[in-house]
Amino acid sequence: MMLASLIIVPLAFALFIAVGPERSAARVSLVGMLATLGLSILAAFAFDWGFGGQFQFGMSVDWLPGLGLTLSLGVDSVALMLVLLTAVLGPVCVLASWTAITERVKTYYAWMMVLQAAMIGVFAARDLVFFYICFEFTLIPMFLLIALYGSTNRMRAATKFFLFTFTGSVVALAGLLYVAWHHAQTRGVWTFEIDALELAARTLPPHVQALILGALLLGFAVKVPLFPLHTWLPLAHTEAPTAGSVILAGVLLKLGTYAIYRFVLPFAPEAVIEYAYPLAVLCTIGIIYGGLVCWVQTDVKKLVAYSSVAHLGFCMLGMFALNHAGVTGSVLYMLNHGLSTGALFLLIGMMYERYHTRSMKEIGGLGARMPVWSTFLVFFVMASVGLPGLNGFVGEFLCLMGAFQASDAWGAGLWGTTPGDSTVGGTRGSLGPWVAAVAGTGMIIAAIYLLYMVGKVVFGTLREPPGHASHADHHAGDAHRAAGLPVDLTRREIGALAPIAALCVFLGVYPKPVLDAVQAPVERTVTTIAEARGKPKFRPPVELAPPAEHAAEGAHP
Amino acid sequence: MHPGPLAASDLASYLPVGLILLMAVGFAAANIFLSRIIGPSRPGGVVKGQTYESGMNPVGTARKRFNVRFYLIAMVFLVFDVEIVFLYPWAATFPNLSPGTDEGLVWLGRIFFFLFTTVVAYLYGFRKGVFKFD
Amino acid sequence: MIDRIEFLWPEIALFVTTCVVMVLGLSRRIESRRMTALVTGLGLIIAGVLAARTTPIPGPRSGQVLLPELIPYAKVLIASVGSLLLLLQAGTVDRAEEAAIAAGQRPYDPLRTNRAEYYAFFLFSLTGLMLCASADDLIWLFLALELTSLPTYIMVAMSTGRARSREAGVKYFFLGALGAAVFLYGFALIYGGTGSTNLNAIHAHLAAHGLNLTALAGFILAFLGLCFKIAAVPMHFYAADVYQGAAPQVSAFLAFVPKAAGFISILLLTATIGWSYAADAQGPLYTPITQSAYDALEGAVSMGLPEPIRVFLWVIAALTMTVGNVLAILQKSVKRILAYSSIAHSGYMLVAVLAGPNNGTFSQSGLAAVLFYLLVYGVGNLGAFAVLACLEGRPDADGEPAEIEDVDDIRGLWKTRPLLAWVMTLSCLGLMGLPPLLGFFGKLPLFTSGLAAGEIVLVVILGLNSAVAAYYYLRLIKASLIDPPSDADLPATPTPFATRTLAGVLSAAGVVVLAFVGGGLMDRSERAARYTSMMAVAPPPPPRKTPYVPGDDTPFPLPIPIGAR
Repeated sequence: MMLASLIIVPLAFALFIAVGPERSAARVSLVGMLATLGLSILAAFAFDWGFGGQFQFGMSVDWLPGLGLTLSLGVDSVALMLVLLTAVLGPVCVLASWTAITERVKTYYAWMMVLQAAMIGVFAARDLVFFYICFEFTLIPMFLLIALYGSTNRMRAATKFFLFTFTGSVVALAGLLYVAWHHAQTRGVWTFEIDALELAARTLPPHVQALILGALLLGFAVKVPLFPLHTWLPLAHTEAPTAGSVILAGVLLKLGTYAIYRFVLPFAPEAVIEYAYPLAVLCTIGIIYGGLVCWVQTDVKKLVAYSSVAHLGFCMLGMFALNHAGVTGSVLYMLNHGLSTGALFLLIGMMYERYHTRSMKEIGGLGARMPVWSTFLVFFVMASVGLPGLNGFVGEFLCLMGAFQASDAWGAGLWGTTPGDSTVGGTRGSLGPWVAAVAGTGMIIAAIYLLYMVGKVVFGTLREPPGHASHADHHAGDAHRAAGLPVDLTRREIGALAPIAALCVFLGVYPKPVLDAVQAPVERTVTTIAEARGKPKFRPPVELAPPAEHAAEGAHP
Repeated sequence: MHPGPLAASDLASYLPVGLILLMAVGFAAANIFLSRIIGPSRPGGVVKGQTYESGMNPVGTARKRFNVRFYLIAMVFLVFDVEIVFLYPWAATFPNLSPGTDEGLVWLGRIFFFLFTTVVAYLYGFRKGVFKFD
Repeated sequence: MIDRIEFLWPEIALFVTTCVVMVLGLSRRIESRRMTALVTGLGLIIAGVLAARTTPIPGPRSGQVLLPELIPYAKVLIASVGSLLLLLQAGTVDRAEEAAIAAGQRPYDPLRTNRAEYYAFFLFSLTGLMLCASADDLIWLFLALELTSLPTYIMVAMSTGRARSREAGVKYFFLGALGAAVFLYGFALIYGGTGSTNLNAIHAHLAAHGLNLTALAGFILAFLGLCFKIAAVPMHFYAADVYQGAAPQVSAFLAFVPKAAGFISILLLTATIGWSYAADAQGPLYTPITQSAYDALEGAVSMGLPEPIRVFLWVIAALTMTVGNVLAILQKSVKRILAYSSIAHSGYMLVAVLAGPNNGTFSQSGLAAVLFYLLVYGVGNLGAFAVLACLEGRPDADGEPAEIEDVDDIRGLWKTRPLLAWVMTLSCLGLMGLPPLLGFFGKLPLFTSGLAAGEIVLVVILGLNSAVAAYYYLRLIKASLIDPPSDADLPATPTPFATRTLAGVLSAAGVVVLAFVGGGLMDRSERAARYTSMMAVAPPPPPRKTPYVPGDDTPFPLPIPIGAR
């Protein structure tokens, strides 16, 4: 019931907002988001972290039994942490939209609540189709948030976002349904329960697993986004309203990585092992390419958007390292990226609300004008760069370490190590030090472009757009007055940023609870992979068994 | 039928057809002949000497517009025509439909349903004003 | 023969209603004339109730025995969607005439009014559709199909006062006649190849002697002709022009009624052929696999329609989806978009026809998927057309209000008519197949049944096409829900017929609500798709077992490979 209430409460508030008056929409929405946050914190306390690898709060209700569809919910520690991330970012997004949204307010907040419910549904689903339903249903609210409340080019951005992700996920659906059908054929039951399907999928021969991998990646890698499929992201981010960007970067991209973690690795382990190297190369290209593109941006928001491409590259690199360090790092990175990049988008939104520009050519030296804002910006940039002591560092380091370790060459005596020596921490895999080294340069590039941005925007001589320069001393341009905003951050805005900052520090200084919590589920994934490595690579192709034999095995019981 | 050249019995089977032909020709000839003798003779003008064709000018272009009423009449005629076409075979086979059972009433009911549809068609035509010649 | 009547009561009820309507609609009193639509609705409801009460008796009494339980489902579906369509038809004909009479400008003249005929044609067409579901004979089927189509030709022509409608009606009539000729020729060849026009007898003949070339040619021609009814490539050319020419409420009718007739006929014909032929069979005679041979193989054999028919339908399905969707993207007129999208939906359903009954469970039976999708599509499509029917432009010189046609015309509906904007949005999302709306649950069985039949390539084409379709549905959503109102000098105003809005709202509500409580309907469609054959059919599903749970160490049996396709 815990999880169901986490989905129902935002939906109920969406309904309240839809029937209520326009002017109270924001407040009702904030209450709803806080209620959801409260519930999720309750859930976190009720959760038995000692058994983080097991799915808790399980519940299952028949929905459409004809289709084998149930409403089944349950979270392990990874899922629960992502639910918490979603719940934390919810109220922040509402606070960020407080003054920015002035038209069709009800529509905005109602869809925001629906989006919240759908995202939590994705993380809490234990039924494949229910997962897919929530996964897809995030599209509509996001589409509308971008299309209705975005900036100039919003319709194109929204359409591109929708079509990219929809196309991908339809193909992913075909892959998922293939697994379900395979299960039905071998077990005689049509079900979409993820556990059952996981086990069924692993009995598929490697070449079929490779097809499944392709289908699922086509769907989920678009959402992440992995390198060649990323083109919708910068556009969508740039055009989306601030809260939209925050949700997009904070949670929606995590839907992709989470889906890969939850479905691709367990469903097609042999294929992932087989294709880990090319995938890691794509991640690395994404890291370097994303970083280099960031370097030449003048639009601050676009810069942060492209930095997401680079950052998610790290996250996926850790995932495809397929060892303990890598997958742990990847899970951690999901949380960290959600917090720090989300906060960066918030900050840029606050700046945009004041100056109506995001171009680094027009603004600069804001440190003098907005000290509090600048402090936060520098802080989150540091977190994003991966400064040790802040949250970004731990995840990024673990991801790179995972990639570094994951090489069969360690066992063969790479760099003079003794074969079989466990002290170097080498694991099986096909990535190795070179991949890690190339990806590592991405960290340097990240430092360059982010600090370059900070240097331009915060430090140096004060530059403001023409409309503001004339009454710079007056502390409030026309736009400020219209929105009722002072020059520096209001208490509401600080209230939105402070909890994220606190979490960043906490996760950076003392990541142990989180690392411990994800230990068990990550172990499960890594074991799956290890088992798959043990399987003979070339199994005899499955042939039509002669009738008698088949009867004995009871293919159709 | 036996094989072989045209047998007398074969020809005999055409006798009814021949009779009907004879009767038709005889009826026509008799009518023309009788009207000559018994009918009153009042020679009239040009119009009366023309061939009668539903009141239309028999000589001239064929591509001319008919009054729409012709179509209406034709359609109403079809209703009754089709009805007769169905009724005759029904009447002819009625004794043979499920003989020995009491389902005869059912068959009777069905043909009455059919007649009912004809009545509806007639009623429709009536209400539509097909029979109004003003 | 005498026993068949008990399965025809819904049709009889509709026919009697038609008779009443024809006379009532010509009444001199306006009050009586107004009753016409009400009586039509009453007749539909009675027919629906009668259909629901029909208990199918497997056996020759109920006509065709291959899909013995099709009749109640199909007829209730027809009556329900028909009722929704009826709500949409308010004020289609005689609007100006009645206004003139009410204003006292001219007296009532029965020759100038069309109300009686319009509703009579509406009912005749639905009667024909129901008769299609009852058919057990090719001649019956042909007559039923013609009874479905002939009234629609006239309905198109009389739906508006514009010359465009007349043109559409004539175009539809001539092409329809061509389609009818093609499938009639096919029926004749089937008779030539099998010696019977009775579907059961044909099936028995095929089971015993296999499918010979004459019958094969017959079936292919029959399918080709039926492609006209379902608006599938290569007989789809009329759709866009005719839908555009007709009034939107008539387009909604055309998008459902002839299509349902076509699909019911296709289901009956494919059921007659049977899905029991070896997948890789070659040769001039296609012999189905017998049940004993199938049992001996323990189901480890892939079966399907005879290869030429499978390839034929495969190509048609793939082309229909793709052509429909691609051309829909290029359109500017809402009606044309919906017309091409309806072509695409036919392609989707053909995938499931190809898949066949499999083992008969809802998720694997293509027949159930088609029957359920007919409902899904009918409801979703009706909503989209209803929005158009609820709007009209400024009247022209003849007093005929301009039609809402372009995507630009529905811009800014959220501000002017929020209810209609939402109806449009929900219908489009439903047709797009976005979860958790009804369209998704309609499309899911199409996917799964296709996969279960091993048609993986076709399923991928289906998936990609659904994604392509998203583009033009998004355009409609964008126009109605996002864009600011258009400032053109022809603003869309609501039509003064509340029932049209009601129809739209009901179908939009259906798209949402049925997704959550539609389990019963799925069961019904599964029952309706129950397939009995003299050939081999996959065994019914085993009793529900618990799915695989960790710790259960019974080994997985070897997977049966996907058919050698």
